[in-house]
Amino acid sequence: MTEVPGAELLDVGRSVLERAGGLTGDIEVYVQHSQTLAVKVYQGEVESLVAGEPRGIGVRYVADGRAGYAYTGDFAPAALDEVVAMAATNAAAADLDEYVSLPHAADVYPEVQGLWRPSLLSTAVERKIALAVEAEKTALGSPEIETVEESAYVDSATRMAIVSSKGVEVYGEQTFCYVYLSAHARRGDDVQTGLGFVTGREPEELDPASAGRDAALQAARLLGARPCPTGKYTVVLDREVAAAVFGVAVRALSAEAVQKGRSLFAGKVGELVAAPSLSLVDHGLHPDGMASASFDDEGVPRKVTPLIEDGVLKGFLHDTYTAAREGGGAGSTGNAERGSYRGSPGVSASNLMLDSGEGTLEELFARVGTGLYVVSITGLASGANPVSGEFSVGARGLLIEGGALTSAVREVTIASDLVSLLSNVGDRAGDARWIPFSGSVYTPSFAVTDVTVAGT
Amino acid sequence: MRHLSPGISPELTEHVLRVALRNGGDYAEVFAEDRSSLSVRMDDGRLEEVSSGIDQGASIRLVKGPTTSFGFTDSLDESALVALAERLSASVRGTAALPSSVRVITLDPRPLPRLIPAAVETGAKTDLVRAAESVARERSEEIRQVAVGYSEGRQRTWVGSSRGPFATDDRTRVVLSVNVVAQRDGSIQTGHETLAGTVGFEIFDGAAHLRTALEAADKALVMLDARPAPGGRMPVILANGFGGVLFHEACGHGLEADFIVKKTSIWEGRRGTRVAAPFVTAYDDGVTPTMWGSNAIDDEGTPTEATVLIEEGILTGYITDVLRGEKLGLASTGNGRRQSYRHLPYPRMTNTYFAAGDVSAADLIADTPRAFYAKSLSGGQVDPATGDFVFGVSEGYLIEGGRVGTPLKGATLIGNGAEVLEAIDAIADDLEVRAGMCGKEGQAVPVGTGQPTLRLRELTVGGTAV
Repeated sequence: MTEVPGAELLDVGRSVLERAGGLTGDIEVYVQHSQTLAVKVYQGEVESLVAGEPRGIGVRYVADGRAGYAYTGDFAPAALDEVVAMAATNAAAADLDEYVSLPHAADVYPEVQGLWRPSLLSTAVERKIALAVEAEKTALGSPEIETVEESAYVDSATRMAIVSSKGVEVYGEQTFCYVYLSAHARRGDDVQTGLGFVTGREPEELDPASAGRDAALQAARLLGARPCPTGKYTVVLDREVAAAVFGVAVRALSAEAVQKGRSLFAGKVGELVAAPSLSLVDHGLHPDGMASASFDDEGVPRKVTPLIEDGVLKGFLHDTYTAAREGGGAGSTGNAERGSYRGSPGVSASNLMLDSGEGTLEELFARVGTGLYVVSITGLASGANPVSGEFSVGARGLLIEGGALTSAVREVTIASDLVSLLSNVGDRAGDARWIPFSGSVYTPSFAVTDVTVAGT
Repeated sequence: MRHLSPGISPELTEHVLRVALRNGGDYAEVFAEDRSSLSVRMDDGRLEEVSSGIDQGASIRLVKGPTTSFGFTDSLDESALVALAERLSASVRGTAALPSSVRVITLDPRPLPRLIPAAVETGAKTDLVRAAESVARERSEEIRQVAVGYSEGRQRTWVGSSRGPFATDDRTRVVLSVNVVAQRDGSIQTGHETLAGTVGFEIFDGAAHLRTALEAADKALVMLDARPAPGGRMPVILANGFGGVLFHEACGHGLEADFIVKKTSIWEGRRGTRVAAPFVTAYDDGVTPTMWGSNAIDDEGTPTEATVLIEEGILTGYITDVLRGEKLGLASTGNGRRQSYRHLPYPRMTNTYFAAGDVSAADLIADTPRAFYAKSLSGGQVDPATGDFVFGVSEGYLIEGGRVGTPLKGATLIGNGAEVLEAIDAIADDLEVRAGMCGKEGQAVPVGTGQPTLRLRELTVGGTAV
């Protein structure tokens, strides 16, 4: 693996800027270079080892209120000339929009410590393989676990630079790794599956045995699951489920959704939109959050933005465009994000944080008394509509009876609407954890009243 | 129009395979790709952005025993490919294996699209998007927002393996998507429709894009009148076209050979057994030109085909790539697919659908006293090990006394693959295949999902009304 220091990425960005010297508009160059590794283990042996260094350049060109975008994975001089020319040509086809502009350089960028850990790249691949093997072995050591369909170790070391004609010249780097596995439990003809994962910024932080135990527990305790009767329930959403639900709900809290008439929360700042016990913050700087960084994907400093405080809507997430359109001196909240160098930035949450509650999950079940504990959901992408607010997804879990878990449940749906869900959030456990798979969310498990469960 | 890359030659491929296998290996493969894309986005009444880009690179796969090593480079230069092959070969130890001589597979050439999108002026694409936007917006005063996206891509592939075959493909895909928001008082509804195919710009002949825009608008408008869907078990009718998500989720994924090999599918060991009524036949068809999930050659160099998966109710086939097929004693069905050269191939569906029956959809509905009618679906998900699946309904109705009545909103349908196949009790004659994107192993590939209108004796409808 070759070392690519930040200076090199900044140099690539600058050389693209120079190529645009003859153009009159503003230009922004986003340069990304990652080193990635994904190892899958099956029955104690490496099934696949995928390593690569994906890299690319995205160019945004703005002239006279018109924006165009182009990208390439080719860093050769001819390709750099071509990508600039494409972006400029593309801009000419867009409609005028007075709010379209590139951000200026900031005076100060916040520092976030610990995002880059050199040990991620220096750790031997054999050690990384051993982590996935240990997760698999732990799960297989649990009663009733028949097979682990796959156990994987995945990591990435990503470097990126943004250089613009408005004076932005920033460089960032971060490492990330995780182990996940899918365990299958069997009792007779009945098969159930469970997922487990652990995440960190370097391999040393990972405890694969805990991922193995989580996957085994989830699969084994769902054995014998059956649909439960249809009706209104108090559901306890496990923190992983809660994270996924908030990952969808927050899309209605982007200023882009509000300005374009796609948010149920438009015009409701200052109003009660959730249970008074609920507070939600977008925290772009938390050292443990996966989305934390000094700056966002258009080079604007990340920030901490309160969204809901004691149930009251405080504001929305902005990038440079939505802030300009909002007017009134409101600035970007540092929430510009792009999936990769192939796309121009849009508004997205960074790390969402909810306050933790009190006591263990078991104590929460005791307080709830009767209900359904939901450990996993399916069909969120097709069943939750952040524009209309409709919400109906498949669920698996366990009934709560007499304040404790009883029989396992599958093939049911839980349905409500996002407004009711937020308003009916109740008691919380003290088990908050960072969940990195549907954005980045720090949330405890919590109860929601008055949810329709459809089963038998 | 951009200069087209010459790709990689059969001779270079053989040389790189030889380097990859110099320390041994059971199988090696080179996959190269050159892709150019362009998209146009209109939203909030403005043509917001035209974006274009180029992806070019190659990957090498080296298999020895149970282990696959895979790497890629963002270049098609000989030096980059040889360096990658050397790096991968260092991961195995043994005596050199020799690739078979390259055998170039030539198919009857598929004609290029009549209107190659890159040769059409950008202005024609922005005009098309504007026209679709305005037709949707003018449909009603209750239409509050319209977003229209156009995108085109041309992907040229070269793939060769140590078993000998070397093949190329040239794939052009075009898609138009329309998203509409309608509002009445406090109620907001959305409507979504796409027009897509493995075709050129001629897909818009006859103003097909305007029909797509109107359908999206009408979906959002009709749902403004919707009541909350019921929760509980009842008969369900799935409309033709995108209702094919049923087969894709309930059955298709579980027939993919990676799950069969690992015995983590409910369909493992069931080939040759009855899984549905005798009037149920289903295909994975990657070969019919113009369908969204079709290719001439898959991403491992195997020509695509139409595979019968269920024949008159009997499970007959699996969906497989080269290596999983070998483990099952089956030839590849041309289903080794990947998102790009940066991804390892997996067995993936192409276009799956139930074959047509012989009653009309109107008669089938008229013959139904009471049912939930899922006219349009928004996607789904399955756990292949248990067969439990869900799919979201974006446009639903209540059927009473053989008539389609009140629109219903907010329902996901949930069931089990094995049970739902047995629950099919009628299939109409109106087969239609629609375009979608399928996600697996973190990779998205275009797939077609289709079916005629069909009826299920009972399924759980996950609405809020109880």
